[in-house]
Order: sequence, then structure tokens, then C-alpha cells
Amino acid sequence: MKLLMMDTLLDIEIGNENKLVDLSTLNIKNCVGCFGCWVKTPGKCVIRDDATSVYPLIAKSNEVIYVSHVRYGSYDTIMKTMLERAIPIQQAFIRIHNGETHHVQRDVKKKKATIIAYGEIDKEEKEIFSELVKRNAHNMLFDSVKIVFTTKEELLKTVEQEVAKWQN
Amino acid sequence: MAKLAIINGSPRAAKSNSKAYAAIFKKYYKQDIAEFNINKNNHLEICSRIEDYENILFVFPLYADGIPVTLLNFLKKLEEYQMNHNIKIHCIVNCGFIEYQQNTVAIKMIKLFCKQKGFKMGSYLSIGSGEAILKTPFAFLVKFKIKQLAKAIENERDKAFFVKMPLSKKLFIKASTQYWIGLAKANGVTKEEMETMQIE
Repeated sequence: MKLLMMDTLLDIEIGNENKLVDLSTLNIKNCVGCFGCWVKTPGKCVIRDDATSVYPLIAKSNEVIYVSHVRYGSYDTIMKTMLERAIPIQQAFIRIHNGETHHVQRDVKKKKATIIAYGEIDKEEKEIFSELVKRNAHNMLFDSVKIVFTTKEELLKTVEQEVAKWQN
Repeated sequence: MAKLAIINGSPRAAKSNSKAYAAIFKKYYKQDIAEFNINKNNHLEICSRIEDYENILFVFPLYADGIPVTLLNFLKKLEEYQMNHNIKIHCIVNCGFIEYQQNTVAIKMIKLFCKQKGFKMGSYLSIGSGEAILKTPFAFLVKFKIKQLAKAIENERDKAFFVKMPLSKKLFIKASTQYWIGLAKANGVTKEEMETMQIE
């Protein structure tokens, strides 16, 4: 399965077999750090909002495109909120992965990830964001990852170009 | 008096490890100090109450490899607020993994925030194995580093400190596995249930 997850509404066609999640239209509260998804109801978040339909899609996808505005070298809050709410797809338990300690994953597919990062982003901020994504690769099972920086104005075109590559 | 505001950026502020680290810091920082827990509705209130402060100490956990949304939201408000830009920002970041190096990106984000928005970046402490270290015989190590951090801030020396449990990764994993099993057991959840591969 392929997943396009965006923090803003874009008029884009992705084909019936793929999933599109527009986080800006969903009701997703922030993770409260209760660890319920690890030690109370393993695999399920105790907050029963729209995030519970999104993290299973993240787990099942073998190809993802995440589209996020960048703030302080981080995903801006809409995307970051969802990524924090995705921890039910991991276990509490820790293993050594790529030489570092990381959480054991549940039934999560390895992924080819493309991160489309938009905004007015200078060189230093790009470097920090790239480091963040590199770290995510360990924790989110990206076996390959590409980052595309773009502006708000060029965003639709950039996303269309990346989605078009799914057909190849 | 160099006034310092501790701002807890953990989403579970009241019962967070960040709270425990802040409590230790308060013991060692001898000057005027106030403490705030960020929630959804008090961003403006915190900004207005810290206007004449010289120092901010953000204490927060690493979430999804970065700064938790609770704190990101507050930073956005702090950016808009007409704040005294002589304020120096310090931080204590903790992650559950043994490698404190996993906090490095979040610290760089705080530095970038300071640079972009005209604040000064001061000292920081990066804690690995921060979920459990205070409940182990190694708690003294982190207390010592927090004491050093408090002294550095008081003396206006910008310094970086690092701490983790002095365990091999293998031993750390063993200890952490026991820790999580214990937490789940209190809820009547077994190790096998915790290991479910099912999502939702």
C-alpha cells in the first residue's frame, strides 16, 4: 500500500489503490505520554480520535510520501502531532537496531519514504531537518528515504511530481 | 538576581520525568525561580509572567526524535510575543534510549529557534536512559549533572552536559524490559499481550 499524508489540503489525484490522508481536516489531539498503547491496551491508543485510523495505514504502507511545513528544523505541529500519535505501532520493548537502542516494531512494513518539506527554509534549517529525518528512518522503518525541499508556492507541483513516480 | 523560569514541555507535565528533573534543578539553583507547565490554554499567560526574566529553562522529553508538540506550540507563541530578547534559553532534554546522542537534533532545534528569533542560547543537559534513571542507583549521576548545569547558568557560562546510565546496551535492554513489564503488570497486562503484533 502507498500512503500520501499531508498537513495541508491539495487538489491531487493519487489513484484508487493508494491512500490519501489530509491531516488538516482530521481531529487529532496530541499524545499525552501515558504509555497506554504499550502497557494498558497494547497496539491501541487510549485517545479514540481520528489518529486511530491513521497509524494503521502508516504501519501497512511500504511506500509513503509525507508533506509537511517546516518550523525550527522540525515538522510543523500538524504533522508532528500525528507522528507522535503513531507510537502504538511500536512496542515498549527496546532492541538494538542499526547499532542504537530503538523500540521493537509491531506489524509494520519497511518503507520507501519521501518527505516533502516546504516553507522558507535556509541551509542550516535544511541540515537540521535532514538529521531529523535520518533519525526517523531508524524509528519508523524507512529503508530508503528522500527529502525534497520546496516552497508553499511550488508545493502542489512538487507533490504531483513525486506521486507520479508511484506509477513507475 | 538572575530570575529563571522553568518551563515544562512534557505533555504529562504534572507527573513527568521532566517534573522530577526540574525539582532537582530547583534544589541547586540558588536564585529566583518560577515553574510553569505548558498546557493548551496558558501560552500567553506564561509569556506575560516571564517578561522580566533573564533565563528560561525548557525541560522536555524527546518525542518522535524531536521536540514534543506541547513545546513546539509554545515556541510558536513565544515567537509572536514581544519578549525581552535578552532572555537566555537553556534546556534539559531526556530520552528513553540509552544514547543521549539521540537528543542532539532536538537541541539543535532549540538553538535554531534562538538564532532565528533573536534569543540567546545558554547551557543544556542531554540525558539518555532518562525514563528510568531516577529510579535506579544511578540517579546520583544525573543529580550531579543537574547541579553542574545550575552552577553554569548561575555563573553565566554556556556549557553542555551529558549523562546516561553506565550500562552496556545489552544490560540496558534487559533492565528496560523488566521496567516496562513491571509497569504493564500493574495494569494486569502480560508480557505476551505487550508483544502483540496487532495494531488497532
